[in-house]
Amino acid sequence: MRRFDAEVLENRELSRDYRRIEVEWPGEAGTPAPGAFLTVRVSGGTDPLLRRPFAFSGYDPGPGQASFIFQIRGPATRLLAGRRPGTALDVLGPLGKGFPDPDPGGRPVLVGGGIGLGPILYAARDFGSRAARGGWEAPVLVLGFRTAAQVPDLDFPEGTMICTDDGSAGFKGTAVQAAELAGAGGRYGPDAPPSYYACGPAPMMAALDRLAVVRYAPFWAAAEQWMACGVGACMSCAVRLKDGSFARACAEGPVFDGASIDWGAM
Amino acid sequence: MNPDLSVRIGNLVLPNPVGVASGTFGYGSEYESLMDVDALGALYTKAVTPEPRPGNEVPRIVETPSGMLNSIGLANPGLDAFVRDKLPELRSRRCPVIVNVAGASEDDYLRVLERLEDESGIAGYEINVSCPNVSHGGLAFGTDPALVERLTARLRGTLRSGRPLIVKLSPNVTDIAEVARTAQAGGADAVSCVNTLVGMAVDVERLRPRLARITGGLSGPAIRPVGVACVWRVSRAVTIPVIGIGGILEARDALEYLLAGASAVQVGTGNFLDPGTAARVLAGIRDWMVRHGAARVPDIPGLLRA
Repeated sequence: MRRFDAEVLENRELSRDYRRIEVEWPGEAGTPAPGAFLTVRVSGGTDPLLRRPFAFSGYDPGPGQASFIFQIRGPATRLLAGRRPGTALDVLGPLGKGFPDPDPGGRPVLVGGGIGLGPILYAARDFGSRAARGGWEAPVLVLGFRTAAQVPDLDFPEGTMICTDDGSAGFKGTAVQAAELAGAGGRYGPDAPPSYYACGPAPMMAALDRLAVVRYAPFWAAAEQWMACGVGACMSCAVRLKDGSFARACAEGPVFDGASIDWGAM
Repeated sequence: MNPDLSVRIGNLVLPNPVGVASGTFGYGSEYESLMDVDALGALYTKAVTPEPRPGNEVPRIVETPSGMLNSIGLANPGLDAFVRDKLPELRSRRCPVIVNVAGASEDDYLRVLERLEDESGIAGYEINVSCPNVSHGGLAFGTDPALVERLTARLRGTLRSGRPLIVKLSPNVTDIAEVARTAQAGGADAVSCVNTLVGMAVDVERLRPRLARITGGLSGPAIRPVGVACVWRVSRAVTIPVIGIGGILEARDALEYLLAGASAVQVGTGNFLDPGTAARVLAGIRDWMVRHGAARVPDIPGLLRA
């Protein structure tokens, strides 16, 4: 974990709502794992004040580059959208715990909803590139969006299932419905039990939690919560667990055993 | 000239005037890889209560103009777990560790203090009578001068170690100077001011308060002028040291507090923006002292022309 001024290498519009920023990320700063995140100080002034957390959407140790995908939602992300390549961005990371590897013989099913696609895309690429060595099946990647205009202009891995709520692109329906069909369609069977990996809105995560239960499948969930420090000190980013206790998204997470989270409280 | 940066609080000598505020720095180790924790003037721990507290429902924070509202609810593992799991590491710190103590009743505060008096590695206590985010205790003590005096006196009576007792004051009162005077009358060695200001933010589209607990405590640069004014008034009402807190991001912010009468300061919300804030503030104070010919930190308030 390190805080440093990273050079912005690219700041590209991916779709109507989403952009991707790529920054230099030297190896000494630590290896960003899929599911881990960084925080960014968007303005040098006091408004917006707090650092903003973003999950890594990719990391290439070769040239030392990392990326994150964000949605323009308010003043802070509007400022970020205007950051030009060549300028310095105050970054802190890598933070939090990432996704665990799939079990040998199993098939990872990765589900991203909306802006949750960043860490899921990164995990899909990582698990795909290490599948032979790790002994698991090639991952299934399912990405859900509201509408075609939201679908980012990216080179998705082959076989990626794109879903839209309105049917304007890909499968008409939710990403969870698509993940369910992918399982039923025999792309993996009893010889390759699924393990679910997901990041997205709480209703999607709750539905996947139920799906994982009926499939007796592990479910690894990247949770989102407002946070101030990002390093485990301030107790802001509490996530309610089913046993009634809280865990910190930045320290115990952001990746949790999805079955442990009280999705109704998110 | 090499200015003397040390500061005296009761029997305790702090190596420098810049500490980190309770609740913004955990127990120190969280920031270990990002800055030199041992170089801090003081580390004020997350509040310790007798029993574990899970904290409040989420959302617990919301950003506001040049500030933030928090409603954490004194989330902490409780006294036993603090002594067992946190204190051993704190004991190995080279910076003074000041334990922030909170509770829902006078007996709660006494219980924490009595137990910690048996433990080594603690430089002092900061008594939190000003948390706005709990149903019982907290602010209920801090707004009643008579209760502050009685609680401070009872805590003073249980102290055997000679460690300083610092009472953390709330700005959510009519007359903070009066509360400070009662803390001194009760035997406090110093007061720290200010804790957060009660605030509220509303999501006008979702028609809901932005915090689960509706109101929270405002911190950050937005409250700095309030904090500086409180330090000004309090430092004229008491003879014990005053520790300034509220919106310090830069050395010039800390110097406002010191010139207004503070003996030391704490960086709070600033740690979230930049974990190196305390170190940067201290370096800037040193430079400023050289430029303005202040040989010692206690000389700084005297330089104000007011």
